[in-house]
Amino acid sequence: MAEAVKVLPQEIQELMEVREWDMRTREGVNRFRELKAKSLPSIALDEQLVYESLIPGQEELAQEVRRRWRVKNG
Amino acid sequence: MGPITEGQRYIYRTQGICPPEIHFRIADGLLREVHFRGGGCPGNAQLVCRLLRDRSIEEVRPFLKDIPCQNHTSCPDQLDKALEAALNGALLPAHSFRLAADLWTKTRVALVGNLAGRLEVWEALKADFKEKKVEAVYCLGNQTNPSTDNGPLLQILRKDHKVTTILGEEDWRYARQFETGPQGKLNPKDKDYLESMAQVLSFHLGAKKGMVFYGTYIQDLPGFSDYEPFSLEMNMAGNLTRFMEDESVFPALEAMTPQFISGIVIFGQRKKWGHWQVGGVDFISVGPASDDDRLSWGLLTVANDHLTLEIQSPSGIKKGDHEK
Repeated sequence: MAEAVKVLPQEIQELMEVREWDMRTREGVNRFRELKAKSLPSIALDEQLVYESLIPGQEELAQEVRRRWRVKNG
Repeated sequence: MGPITEGQRYIYRTQGICPPEIHFRIADGLLREVHFRGGGCPGNAQLVCRLLRDRSIEEVRPFLKDIPCQNHTSCPDQLDKALEAALNGALLPAHSFRLAADLWTKTRVALVGNLAGRLEVWEALKADFKEKKVEAVYCLGNQTNPSTDNGPLLQILRKDHKVTTILGEEDWRYARQFETGPQGKLNPKDKDYLESMAQVLSFHLGAKKGMVFYGTYIQDLPGFSDYEPFSLEMNMAGNLTRFMEDESVFPALEAMTPQFISGIVIFGQRKKWGHWQVGGVDFISVGPASDDDRLSWGLLTVANDHLTLEIQSPSGIKKGDHEK
């Protein structure tokens, strides 16, 4: 799932800050539970769980990031 | 050539590199082993570890220093900092949990939970073990109860060669005298026995490898690392699923089980009997040996790679047999 984020175009990367959690660690599990995630891999955007298990296509993910950026930045 | 000593084990939390931890061991001025844990380039890391094994620290340090990779540091640079910290005492040796292994493969094992210092409960169960031809008895904590005289039970358990005891959270507190209680009554041998109990036991049941632990207190031990053997199993059972209470996260558990060392994960903290199969792993929760004087223990057997847990309920405690 992290790969799906890493391969996004540079213009999209510049709109966001990415954080990856390692599920082998207690910190990763705590974050997983905070987000109320159920399965792996998962992607949350703005603290909201958006994708679970299903890896989104590059265009779909880029569109969703753009949409959220526009909502926040007018 | 003198004997090889085990030396001291260290865990260094890195800064600015991919692997969050470096685990290494120093003995007699030599770097006995090095492992970069939790990330990074596994092939390169493995090569570095092989090249450094059993080399003098003094000899290797000049090769590690000032190699940039990212954030003005690198894996070798962080290892150099770790060695420096270990040598100057800024990094203390890691102890973490006590791990024991039952080396002989079993097919019939008894599981006992929460004896809580009650010798009469143990005696009542023991007759049943013989009848059911168990090969080994794994007693998950708590063996003790701070408000009772635990000596008689501990003496019996430590002398029984079929029994392996695993330290529970209360046992751990009791051994460290965190609780007020009559621990002064324990003789030195029983105290030593309690203090040396394994906190994690690995075993083989048929072709399956298993592990036994009590609960999440192990993660609070000084020197505990999420990247040690069996830590993943404890994290997934204890923290992710809350000892299998939260079935909604079983899909995530299933995604993680391929990284497990163990095909059987046994724990005691939930204090209720239960058996789940998720992602090819058997998870077993061990209930108390006595609940309102109703006795129970678990008979774990394996046949043709199939694991079965049968909860046994022997007849009650014979009144007067062990009353003091």
